Amino acid sequence: MSIEIEHIRKQYGSFTALDDVSLTIGVGELMALLGPSGSGKTTLLRIIAGLESPDGGSILLHGEESTQQSASTRGIGFVFQHYALFRHMTIFENVAFGMRVQSRQLRLSRQKIRERVRDLLHLVQLDTYAQMYPEQLSGGQRQRVALARALAVQPKVLLLDEPFSALDAKVRKELRDWLRRIHDELHVTTVLVTHDQEEALEVADRVAILNQGRLEQIGTPQSIYDRPASPFVYNFLGNVNLFHGRLLADLSSQRPEGSTQDSNDSSIGFVRPHELELSRELPDDVKAVLASVVRIHATGPQIRLELSIAGNGRPVAAELGRKQFEELALVPGDDIFVWPQSIRLFENAEDASLLLDQGAGI
Amino acid sequence: MSRGRTIPSSMLLRPTTTQRAGRAALILLALLFLTGFLILPVVAVFSQALSQGWAIYRDSIVQEDVLSALRLTCLVAAIAVPLNVLFGIAASWAITRFEFPGKSLMITMIDIPLSVSPVVAGMMYVEVFGLHGWLGPWLMEHNLHVIFAVPGIVLATVFVTCPFVARELIPFMQAQGSDEEIAAAVLGANGWNLFWRVTLPNIKWALLYGTILAASRSIGEFGAVSVVSGHIRGKTTTLPLEVEMLYNEYNFTAAFATASLLTLAAIVTLTIKKIVEGSTGVARNIEEQEGES
Repeated sequence: MSIEIEHIRKQYGSFTALDDVSLTIGVGELMALLGPSGSGKTTLLRIIAGLESPDGGSILLHGEESTQQSASTRGIGFVFQHYALFRHMTIFENVAFGMRVQSRQLRLSRQKIRERVRDLLHLVQLDTYAQMYPEQLSGGQRQRVALARALAVQPKVLLLDEPFSALDAKVRKELRDWLRRIHDELHVTTVLVTHDQEEALEVADRVAILNQGRLEQIGTPQSIYDRPASPFVYNFLGNVNLFHGRLLADLSSQRPEGSTQDSNDSSIGFVRPHELELSRELPDDVKAVLASVVRIHATGPQIRLELSIAGNGRPVAAELGRKQFEELALVPGDDIFVWPQSIRLFENAEDASLLLDQGAGI
Repeated sequence: MSRGRTIPSSMLLRPTTTQRAGRAALILLALLFLTGFLILPVVAVFSQALSQGWAIYRDSIVQEDVLSALRLTCLVAAIAVPLNVLFGIAASWAITRFEFPGKSLMITMIDIPLSVSPVVAGMMYVEVFGLHGWLGPWLMEHNLHVIFAVPGIVLATVFVTCPFVARELIPFMQAQGSDEEIAAAVLGANGWNLFWRVTLPNIKWALLYGTILAASRSIGEFGAVSVVSGHIRGKTTTLPLEVEMLYNEYNFTAAFATASLLTLAAIVTLTIKKIVEGSTGVARNIEEQEGES
């Protein structure tokens, strides 16, 4: 079932949660709504579910106007951040609940319900937990039960509200891969709300990035990562170095990419840490600046360096592979030449200068 | 003390002799207080009631007037408690699950019966339903008796006991949140299913606790009932009123025998309350663990 979100607006007092958001989610697609807290992503999800009503705009489920429809009749499965399992029911009863409360004409027979619950518990790999209570399960197991419970009513749309954010990093990653596998198996149209960019980029078919109630960018994970449409998206999707003023001019006069753009005083250049090149000798074909190594984080496959630009002391983050790091044989205090492989310019970007003021993006 | 000096860190944990003495003194003080003000009076009630022997005790209770007072007390409780359960669930549901104007006013209003003297409560009902009250003439015309009759006693009891269930449920339901109910609604449950399958099982212990409090108060209520009852023996006297009347007639043995019934009722409700508290304690612990994980 497709979901069409048309010009949705929502206001809480003087706070604008959603400001004219339009978005279409295709049949069988896994869409991630990504944004920082307060960006309106959860509100949008709750409006799709029918748990909130918008102040304006409409929701079409499978082409059908559904804005006024109640949550219980929309045929959706909802997975909550804090599981919201029924604490006084066994795992079995939790999963069976949605089938048991169906109207008499639609309700499955006891035998059918039992079979279906067993299948679902098998799907979420909790076969042996049927007679336990939620409090006896770990967070990851509980969230799997919550997913089984949501799938039990054969929803046409599955909505997940930060489902993994209460779990620890390892479980979160496991469940993320597992959710993707389940989605590939069942092809239920799915909307996943998350503030974790890695989660969104890794799991979703497409990602919609929200900021302050507005849609910033929508696209496949790769297109969004490679071509961020705004300074906000650039910054939100990972660590980034911001260059402006003279330093930007020093670096970007011979940049290999985007050379048509003028770097006037108000532009800001964005460079990801792994896009920085490092060398002990001054390269002759590109412009580079001198920096000194402040700190080295050498755990993991990528080595992260904290550098300080010579002269003005601006901090810069760089990332390089283990092999290159060993060739350079850097220790803290070393001087090194730095230049960007590519630099992305945003002109007069208000929010970008805001980022600079906050010292974000290193 | 000498051991304390060798392991300084444990000095704080292990009570010293003075600390131990202080603890003993505090416990003793509390015990003396309890004995003097609570245990002795209860013993006095039973010893007075039984002072003339078991037979007289039994005869004092099996009097027609006392039995009728007992019946009336049970009847009033049987009406007032369910009404309060209904009101309590409705009010706490509304307050904890919805936003509406005047919500904080409503919470304050629920507390009025606790802050107003029961005598005043009784007088308010006389003012409204009494012969010279606002509705008095109309009630007379239709031959309806409220004041100095059973309906007035029920009304006064409902008034005094109305906060008990709601006050138990509101904080409990606030702490629980509405997540499970929202989940149930999304899964297609209608209001009926939602209440019976999700809400009620979750609040049952708090509800039972509030009900016990309301029941014990409605059995023991004196002030408000005294104003509206009219003290008609065998008709409008509840047990507490009967005790007072017997006492004023210098019929001490009968008065204490009747009082012992009320005391017994209190002990029974306290015992049930203790058991229920144990169960809610368990439920609350589980909740806390969930909150932590």
